[in-house]
Amino acid sequence: MAANRKAVKLRIKSIQSTMQITKAMELVAASKLRHAKERAEKSKPYFDILQTALEQIAAGNTEFSSPYAKKAASEVWCYVVIAGDRGFAGGYNNNLFKCLEQEVQGKEYMVLPIGKKAVEYYKRREVPILTEAFSEAGDISVADCFEMARMLCSEFRKGTIGYISLCYTEFVSMMTQTPKTDPMLPLTELVANAEKKDRYGQILYEPDSSQVFDVIVPEYLAGMIYGAMSESVASELAARRMVMDAATKNAGEMIETLNLYYNRVRQAGITQEITEIVAGAEGNS
Amino acid sequence: MNTFRLQIVTPDGLVFDEQAQRVVVRSMTGDMAILAGHCNYCTGLGMGEARVTSAGGEVRRAACIGGMLTVVEGDCRIVATTWEWQEQIDRDRAELAKKRAEEKLAQKNLSDKEQKIAEAKLRRALVRIGVKQ
Repeated sequence: MAANRKAVKLRIKSIQSTMQITKAMELVAASKLRHAKERAEKSKPYFDILQTALEQIAAGNTEFSSPYAKKAASEVWCYVVIAGDRGFAGGYNNNLFKCLEQEVQGKEYMVLPIGKKAVEYYKRREVPILTEAFSEAGDISVADCFEMARMLCSEFRKGTIGYISLCYTEFVSMMTQTPKTDPMLPLTELVANAEKKDRYGQILYEPDSSQVFDVIVPEYLAGMIYGAMSESVASELAARRMVMDAATKNAGEMIETLNLYYNRVRQAGITQEITEIVAGAEGNS
Repeated sequence: MNTFRLQIVTPDGLVFDEQAQRVVVRSMTGDMAILAGHCNYCTGLGMGEARVTSAGGEVRRAACIGGMLTVVEGDCRIVATTWEWQEQIDRDRAELAKKRAEEKLAQKNLSDKEQKIAEAKLRRALVRIGVKQ
């Protein structure tokens, strides 16, 4: 009985220290989240307006001289996958990979992973990787996004890749984050997303469409990646905060049950001792 | 004067979303102005001064660097890499950036990439100083 009591005590202690860790992780995620959420909210209009503008251009485009507006030259897809640097965020990373898994079925594809988890995952699966230079999702700056955009554009122009899509986690609210994929290039892929109801008239390009596309497409890719980055980082932190909150609550519950058990065992021990003493005293008299 | 809806966004947020009479920007090929009733249009932006005439007729100047301008169904959207209103520009910082870029360009043994970066920095600094004056 005594040994059991000691084991329970130890278990309670160990759960308590785990709880402290999860509590601390939750607090850290919550404070970082405030900052990340602000950034995501700030870049949201940019992201949305950029996307609408390009969708409208794609829908109204009748000029296919630019390689960006033509039909894909190759059947290889390139996915820019934005995952996290660390685990302990519930299904955040896995949901994203699963979402992409469905998307790529039957396609020949390669990835540009951002974030340590993404790099590790695709390395293990031996999926061709465009570059591993951006393994730290936390420190990606606007300049890095431009770097990626330039790299993607040059591969696209060479014809090594025919389609470029973005795979990230949308920050819907503090409670919900949904993984999704958005097509980026070629522009013909965007037409499906544009509002069908109004047909846009022809667009005038100055000086001409291929020169305009040469300038705006890298900007567009960089902007999209940056926007998706901000959303993903906020999503990761929100997911982590939620999971750690749940873990802390669970630990609290476990401690409560164990405490109850511990006290019962203790009580039983005392009762038994008293019974023994009383029985002994009675035997003497 | 007729007005049109003008939206200006940068990665740092929505800068402007109001009716405007006129907007002047430096495009890839030179300065251009958009007025109400413009046809559908799309161009890339260069680096230069931009002027927005609000619905009330007040003119605001800004430094606009990179990005694109589109007009669709009468709505004008400027998606810029950076957009700084005149009053937001830090003169001293721009002067410092100009000096640093000039020093860098004075060196002989620059790689192509370094040369380009320094040139771009110098041009950005010059645009900012120009708008501030």
